[in-house]
Amino acid sequence: MRLIDPLARAIRRYWRVKRVDLALTLTGAIIVAWIIAMAALAPVVAPYDPYVSVDDVLLPPSREHLMGTDNLGRDVFSRILYGSRTVMAVVLASTMLSMGVGTLVGLVSGYFGGLVDRVLSLVMDSIYAFPGLILAIAVAAMLGPGVSNTVVSISIVYIPTYFRMIRGQVLSVKSQLYVEAATALGAPHKVIMLKYILPNVIPVLPVVFSMNVADAVLTEAGLSFLGLGVPAPTPDWGFDLRNGQRNLLAGYWWGSTFPGFMIVLLAVGFSLLGEGLNELISPERR
Amino acid sequence: MRRGISKVVAVVAALVIIVAIVGIAYVYQARKAPAEKEVIVIGTTDRVTDLDPASAYDFFTWEVLSNIAEGFFKYEPMTLELKPALAESYEVQEGGKVWVLKLRKGLKFRDGTELTAEVVKWSIERVARIEGDPAWFVLDFVDKVEVVDKYTVKIVLQQPVAFFKAVLAVPTYFPISPKSYPADEISPDNTAGGIGPYYIERFVRDVELVLKANPNYYGEKPRTKTIIIKFYKDATALRLALEGGEIDVAWRTLNPSDIKDLAKNPDFTVVEGQGAYIRYIVLNGNIEPFNNKLVRQALAAALDRKKITEGVFLGTVSPLYSLVPAGMWSHIDAFKEKYGEGPNYELAKKLLAQAGYSETNKLKVELWYTPAHYGTTEADVAAAIKESWEKTGMIEVEIKSAEWSTYLELTRKKGLPITLYGWYPDYIDPDNFLYPFLHTDSNRWLGKPYSDPEMDKLLEEAQVAPDKATRTRLYEQVQRKLAEDAPIIPFLQGKLYVVCKKNVKGIVIDPYMLLRYWLIYKE
Amino acid sequence: MVSLRVYILTRVLLTIPMVFILLSLVFFVMRILPGDPVIAIVGMKASPEHIERLRHELGLDKPLWRQYIDYIAMIMRGDLGRSMIWGKRPVSTEIWDRFPATLELTICAFTVSVLIGLVTGVFASTKPGTKADVGLRLFSIVAYSLFIPLLGMLLQFTLGVKLKLLPVAGRKSPLVQIDRITGLYLLDSLLTLNLVGFVDALRYLLLPSITLGVVLSGVYTRLVRSSMLEVLREDFIRALRARGIPEGQILLRHALKNAFIPVLTMMGLQFSLLLAGAILTETTFSWPGMGTFLLERIEYRDYTTVQGTIVFYALLVAMVSLIVDIIYAYIDPRIRY
Repeated sequence: MRLIDPLARAIRRYWRVKRVDLALTLTGAIIVAWIIAMAALAPVVAPYDPYVSVDDVLLPPSREHLMGTDNLGRDVFSRILYGSRTVMAVVLASTMLSMGVGTLVGLVSGYFGGLVDRVLSLVMDSIYAFPGLILAIAVAAMLGPGVSNTVVSISIVYIPTYFRMIRGQVLSVKSQLYVEAATALGAPHKVIMLKYILPNVIPVLPVVFSMNVADAVLTEAGLSFLGLGVPAPTPDWGFDLRNGQRNLLAGYWWGSTFPGFMIVLLAVGFSLLGEGLNELISPERR
Repeated sequence: MRRGISKVVAVVAALVIIVAIVGIAYVYQARKAPAEKEVIVIGTTDRVTDLDPASAYDFFTWEVLSNIAEGFFKYEPMTLELKPALAESYEVQEGGKVWVLKLRKGLKFRDGTELTAEVVKWSIERVARIEGDPAWFVLDFVDKVEVVDKYTVKIVLQQPVAFFKAVLAVPTYFPISPKSYPADEISPDNTAGGIGPYYIERFVRDVELVLKANPNYYGEKPRTKTIIIKFYKDATALRLALEGGEIDVAWRTLNPSDIKDLAKNPDFTVVEGQGAYIRYIVLNGNIEPFNNKLVRQALAAALDRKKITEGVFLGTVSPLYSLVPAGMWSHIDAFKEKYGEGPNYELAKKLLAQAGYSETNKLKVELWYTPAHYGTTEADVAAAIKESWEKTGMIEVEIKSAEWSTYLELTRKKGLPITLYGWYPDYIDPDNFLYPFLHTDSNRWLGKPYSDPEMDKLLEEAQVAPDKATRTRLYEQVQRKLAEDAPIIPFLQGKLYVVCKKNVKGIVIDPYMLLRYWLIYKE
Repeated sequence: MVSLRVYILTRVLLTIPMVFILLSLVFFVMRILPGDPVIAIVGMKASPEHIERLRHELGLDKPLWRQYIDYIAMIMRGDLGRSMIWGKRPVSTEIWDRFPATLELTICAFTVSVLIGLVTGVFASTKPGTKADVGLRLFSIVAYSLFIPLLGMLLQFTLGVKLKLLPVAGRKSPLVQIDRITGLYLLDSLLTLNLVGFVDALRYLLLPSITLGVVLSGVYTRLVRSSMLEVLREDFIRALRARGIPEGQILLRHALKNAFIPVLTMMGLQFSLLLAGAILTETTFSWPGMGTFLLERIEYRDYTTVQGTIVFYALLVAMVSLIVDIIYAYIDPRIRY
């Protein structure tokens, strides 16, 4: 509720001043919506089963196979459609996980302060400073292939971002009058945290989300490209790119380039959308 | 006006710098060293593990070792006849229990040490002492090594072994100089080598290995003075290096599609050879429902080998119907005799129905593979197997994977239900393709998937049987029994491919598989 | 300046827990799954006794806490230990062998990205709101989203395979000899006056650096643009303009200098991205650097090497961000600690 009014105002202002921004945001939204629709409608739209061979191997794109077939004779187009499910599922699940953990830890850390805060901040800062993909690789490789393991390894990378934002918000909210009043009245910590602080820090989540999600798409693709993501034969863009790459030089370009372009498209879509949302929600950032 | 100009100047300056750099780079395009004919560059995706006969136990390191060192015998190219090498002659005594080797006289290692019986004894005992991975080549067979005189060595075996000459030819038995190798520990980056056609001039791990012709070599001089091995991370890089002119010879392992594609290119020659490399599916008999022979037979019957060999590998490998590879004596197409050539879905369905499964009550199995160790094609192999089994309509396959180290440990400790493995022979004899898999005492590494007293007896008999005819008969029996019990389903036999520039000649690929660098030359 | 020294000291001390935390994370995560370096190298044919013996030699049969304490104690002594697989070489030697390749790649990629960032950023800042500006903004977003393996593959395919302009994998031609001094081929060949080697190394460097550089350039484009816009609004620029100084000179000599400070601060963070991107770049181009090295050793569960590499990465990141901070503190007098 609190969001709607400023949102409408922001949109009006945008429409006057920044048509370009809006256009870019909309483009992003359309791309993302389209890929979400792809994921949702995959079973309806896909002409073939993405798991089994349906024709000769390595057929070039044709009317029967819009994007050709891969080296097991599977329909690349169908795999792309189903692949969007894998990417979306993994990326959203891992973002939710890091959001949940980051928020919780950030809330505790910011609220209680003191030694707990110091230690937690140090841990989070260490992870934050470390190259994300390398950390994800190390964790993913150690945990072994599998959807849930991939989700965990990606989420570790983004927990610190949520943590930092939430913690910062908590610190500023904590000193506000109504929180101090509640504390003075002897409300238990849990109630204060969940009832008074949490609702006020939640609006910052979409901002962090929008900043992270494109990056998470690339991390997911990177992991599966390196063979550390979801195990075969699940359709997955990063994995299919790698799988197709070994036939690329022999001239079979369709197996790898289509999944590759989809990764870029989705990342661009999320970036455009994220940037737009970011400006809508917190225009003061610019 | 001026504003515009300086801006343009800035942009142009930056562009000019970039273009200039690229330009210079292009013009200078890697001036190759002269005397190019004297050098052959071989690219590979393999790696050198430990350059020490006491520890090396993998395809490529053995290949390097057999070019920089030699054993007592050496395989004649193509005929696979074992010819005398460091041993001038030999004699087998006491019904095959004692081997007396007469060494060639006057041979010297690179460090000046002479090859004597003492050195041979020291080298063999060193392998046993260090107990490295290949130490069993000595420990399992040899009782003791004795020095008879300066150039005569006597090897006493624990019991007669029909194929000991083949064992003696493995790199583990290559004599090395006590002056260059430590007596009790593995020397992983040691470039000293033994007595061979080449010696190592420079070795930069995972980057390059430079070999020079050994001027003191007793035998035929190598055709090419310098061999450079370049190491590549993957098959794509290897192909690109060949096409970019970086290497003259692309050795193991190119992608199937690249081999097909390069064969069309008039600049390159593709040399193909039958390899003794096999791949197989292991069904773990300790785990339900694979203790049921009907289930195992059904899976063997429903396997579509063509889907793998023609689909995944584009015909660059051949289907295999026995653990003994085609081309080796005693090989029979045991599985083909029993289940037919292609997937025999009718038979599979019948067997499954007998075992109590139906289209509603499906057989549910877990198929494991490891993503990197057997190349990037492995995921596709698993997918192809899943597909062919599921075509029966009565099987449901769940695919799982684990990194190599985890995969091995899980197989060994817990026992995975269905796994995919591959095998390179240690020595060239059918025994090496059967005994380690099927004998109760030796298949622990596969999680002991199979144990059968009758099979054990056949294998033991064949090991000591003196003549080839008896052994052939026994091995044929073993293979038929293997197809009947189906604890292991072989599905492909590798071919080996070398793709090289048109002017490169002398590449020999035979079942020995290791490339002999000394035969290669440029026209 | 005393305060600055205190600041530096605190920062240095703070890197210790950071390294420690990452190290512990990797140490324990790595041991969750079955499988260890021994089983990975002896492969399938070894006997269980043989495996046990090797485990004992490597100390892998000790309780986990004991291994952990031993390892931490070793790290404290500044020793990264020895690899647990073939060669059993010291981890520091292995890193020393591989790191220069990554360093060379990251430096060149960094140069490429800053170069692109400066040119596009300055250009965009001179025409805010125009089509070109929007186009460059789009470029900066798309560039970051370009999946490195895809971009790399496309470059390999077009420039390398089809046009045969540039080599596509590895660091140098096999026949070209470059003597190792620092391990940075460009530098080494210059130091030994080896022109052929220099050109050769440069040709091999181009595609990987361009790939990585382009992907990371987007960030600089926007950063340069926005800080240029900010600086251009300031009074001293107006004063310069009023004095009739040519716009080009204002842009390049005065504005850019000031706009560069935010770019500099960004470099610390970017370095982390650069290292992560380098892993994908190295894999795509078979570049024998730290990334390919780490991936390979992870597969064999070479505990000490993987841990050592992570420690090294952590120290590297900490050091670079420290250096950036110090430089920043020196050149921007407004900052006080």
